Amino acid sequence: MLPEWLTTIRFFFTGKNRHEVDEEIQFHVERQIEANLAAGMPLEEARRQAAIAFGGRQRTREQCREQRPSFPMEATLRDLRYGVRGLLRNPGFTFVALITIALAIGANSAVFSLLNQALIRALPVHDPNQLVVVSFAGGHPGHTQSGGGNTPGHAHEFSYPMYRDLRDQNTVFDGLIAAAPVSVGVVWNNRAEAVGAAVVSGNYFETLGVRPAAGRLLQGGDETVEGANPVAVLSFDYWKTHLGEVPVVGRELLINGTAFTIIGVSAPGFRGAVWGQTPAVFVPITMQRVVEPDREFLHDHQSYWLNLVGRLRPGLSSSSAAASLNALFINLRKAEFPNLRDHSERERKDFVDNAHINLDGGAQGFSPMRDQVETPLKIIMGMALLVIAMAVVNVSSLLLVRAATRTREFSMRFALGATNAQVCRQLLAEGFLLGIVGAAIGLAIAPEALKLLIHWMTGPSASQPVFSASIDFRVVLFTMAATLLATLLFSLAPAVQFWNPRLSDFLKQQTGTSVGGMLRFRRTCVALQIGFSLLLIVGAGLFVQTIRNLRNIDPGFETENLLSFNIAPQMAGYAQTAVAPVEQRILDALATIPGIRSAGATNDPELVDDDINGDVIVPGFTPKLAEEFDVELPWISNGYLQTQGVPLVAGRLFSPSDTATSQKVAVVNESFAKHFFGTPQAALGHHMSRPHRPASDAVIVGVVKDVKHVTIRFQAIPTAYTLYTQAEKPTGLTFYVRTWQNPHAAENSIRSAVANIDSRLIVDGLSTLNEDIDNNMMAERTIALLATTFGVLATLLAGIGLYGILAYSTAQRTREIGIRMALGARRATVVGLILREVLTLAAWAIGVSIPIAYLAARAIRSQLFGVSAADPLVYIVAIMVIAIVAATAGLIPSRRAATVDPVRALRID
Amino acid sequence: MPPSTDLLQGTLDMLILKAIAGDAQHGWAIAQRIQQVSRNVLQVGQGSLYPALHRLEYKGWIRAHWGASENNRKARFYSLTAAGRKQLEAELENWQRLTSAVNLVLEGI
Repeated sequence: MLPEWLTTIRFFFTGKNRHEVDEEIQFHVERQIEANLAAGMPLEEARRQAAIAFGGRQRTREQCREQRPSFPMEATLRDLRYGVRGLLRNPGFTFVALITIALAIGANSAVFSLLNQALIRALPVHDPNQLVVVSFAGGHPGHTQSGGGNTPGHAHEFSYPMYRDLRDQNTVFDGLIAAAPVSVGVVWNNRAEAVGAAVVSGNYFETLGVRPAAGRLLQGGDETVEGANPVAVLSFDYWKTHLGEVPVVGRELLINGTAFTIIGVSAPGFRGAVWGQTPAVFVPITMQRVVEPDREFLHDHQSYWLNLVGRLRPGLSSSSAAASLNALFINLRKAEFPNLRDHSERERKDFVDNAHINLDGGAQGFSPMRDQVETPLKIIMGMALLVIAMAVVNVSSLLLVRAATRTREFSMRFALGATNAQVCRQLLAEGFLLGIVGAAIGLAIAPEALKLLIHWMTGPSASQPVFSASIDFRVVLFTMAATLLATLLFSLAPAVQFWNPRLSDFLKQQTGTSVGGMLRFRRTCVALQIGFSLLLIVGAGLFVQTIRNLRNIDPGFETENLLSFNIAPQMAGYAQTAVAPVEQRILDALATIPGIRSAGATNDPELVDDDINGDVIVPGFTPKLAEEFDVELPWISNGYLQTQGVPLVAGRLFSPSDTATSQKVAVVNESFAKHFFGTPQAALGHHMSRPHRPASDAVIVGVVKDVKHVTIRFQAIPTAYTLYTQAEKPTGLTFYVRTWQNPHAAENSIRSAVANIDSRLIVDGLSTLNEDIDNNMMAERTIALLATTFGVLATLLAGIGLYGILAYSTAQRTREIGIRMALGARRATVVGLILREVLTLAAWAIGVSIPIAYLAARAIRSQLFGVSAADPLVYIVAIMVIAIVAATAGLIPSRRAATVDPVRALRID
Repeated sequence: MPPSTDLLQGTLDMLILKAIAGDAQHGWAIAQRIQQVSRNVLQVGQGSLYPALHRLEYKGWIRAHWGASENNRKARFYSLTAAGRKQLEAELENWQRLTSAVNLVLEGI
């Protein structure tokens, strides 16, 4: 005997044939006739009674059919088949609707993918929810090396001794790891390049639960004593893209000129515990001196440079762990305090009493970059959602127009016995078809859109882009949810319009006259479209203004024909004492290249969001109590200010006579002079030095004008330039050359000049200053570009929507217009009549959306520059664009209406 | 035509199963039997009889085959399957429980 479900499945495919059902019914009726005859009825009456008793045969047949297990699916399939047929009948409409949905879904999936990567996705490690990011509050006198991401009370950098003590003495973690980003020179197969690297603690991979893709990963035993662990782990991405996935385990890799043994490759997808960084190589902390030769961090309690992430013991809450860790931290700080230079009560308060530990959720990893991208990404996501809302409104009004032109078809179907539900199901089926096919196209174009977006956001320079153009399950889920919601909304709109208990009667009366409720609904649609367009145009306007303002800022020096690149001789294995001399040789060689006007170098590149600052002591200047005053402290070459063209205000610039052994000299900017001495002239001849570093004492020989430094957005801060040749230690430099012509033309001669000096030297990050500035505005530029694209698209859609509704309503009013004209109305009056309707609608929509636009603009004003959220120009332009589009959309149908021949108009129907 | 007394949801199924529990019957005979046995209280309309027969067949509770009727015509006979017999027992038991419970309530109040 077949089980029940098997029977169902069998009948699902085979069913019963219609013939059998007919025969069965026929038998029943005949048997009844016989029975009636037997009861004594005449033949005619017996037949009649039998037929009456049975009722409608067709209906019984249908009801039998509906019992089939496959019936619901058959009905759906039939609806879909009709849907496809219906959509194919209007290819123009179908095309526009599909494109609209595909663009909206594609844009949303791409943007959501970025948002997901930056803000939602957890690190690809074992149980990421157990991870916590460790930060602290309290003073940190000494040297801090930070990649950013700190907020008041949340400093994320710890010293190595502090890390070891916390790791070894805590009772709350299953593991506490430390890592810091560095830039190193790597030589593989005689090819040298600068790459991002991470110095990590030995327990790093073990605690995170990352598996090797090849070989083994670092272990506790790889972090012993300083300089004793020359082993390296490669990231999977780097191994794949740069080393071609060749077997590497056991082979040697030169890092900053020192041989490291590659012990393994980390798992695919793992890019470190810090989101936004893509280290190519992981090396043990104990090798810090090799990867950063100019820093000595390992034994110093006052060098803060390591990011800490802990894995909480199971069952331990983050707050109780923080309390326990806090006690340990305070004790360690108490022990550290006597070794500080400053033993004042104030320092004690700052360093010990006010210190505490914070543990923040670390599933997504610590990230200095997240803060920078969060707001721009949310703005872009907001715009993308506006586009999808726009698409919904647009498609639903298109569907509605379509439905309205099909009243006759629906009337016919009602007349043939279709029910209300059947007609609405039909409408829904068409909507769902559009939604699903559109979304499928959208999802298919999403990876390409994503690539384009990433390209815009990160520029071509990034060799290891932070974002990957991958679509993961969350993106697909998001797309499906968005599609479902959008589809429901736009397919329900026409269905709801038609969902009328007495629809058939209603439709019978409809033909020929305008459908009041439908028209109102479509007016709302157009008003919404105008509103959305206005929001997007205002957004685009604000960001275009922002970009224009940023571009127009005068940084204080000429940015044209200025090319920069980095060379860190340490990355090529240069000893400390050999660094400055080779840098001098590079500068000399650059100066002789034809086409280069001058060359200079600094350790603190311009306008790339970097700064090097610290406290200074100026004898004779008493700072206000408790004043921490950091100044910018670049080390430069003696031709640097001349190359940049920074104007001299007083005294002199550096000259070749200022050498490593002569009197140390400094050039300060006007802000510095004003803060410490009042006037530029007064600054000359004074001394300045770094606290507790008497060797840094220098005499101020010149004052230059302020120039923008960190970014083009920020005002210059007080700056004291000193010579890198007179600095306390050697450092890698960013070289700037001023060319006569197109700076990129000089690239090859620069590379060969540097290679002539030493082929191991790596010329990294060649770019012009204008490109650097542009890169710095990437977020604003991406938003502006997207807002403009979306805005134009939205306005176009709104225009089409407006045209559609007017063309329809004007056509409906042909008879009215004909009567008006027959009664003597002039053409201009008729045009005015229609145009007034359009402009009233547009004015209404604009009036409602302006306050919303203003509120939205206020919400994003942190991203704007030099333009207020109520910038009148932006709003006026936006309103004018909408008005022009609305008038154009209205003019065509109104002119057509005005050419109506009254006689013919009256004869319609 | 609906039954003159509204049948409880699912009751028709049970009545049909019971009507063919003894021997195979065709549709007309099933309707007649239910009507006669219930002394004309329950009239099974063809509008619901045939869809119900088909439903039960699709569920695998009854089986149909062509045979000769009492007046020697080709008719479609329905008989219980093993699953149908089990289903009938279950429904009867259910029914007894329900009616006795309802009776208890009616007598008790």
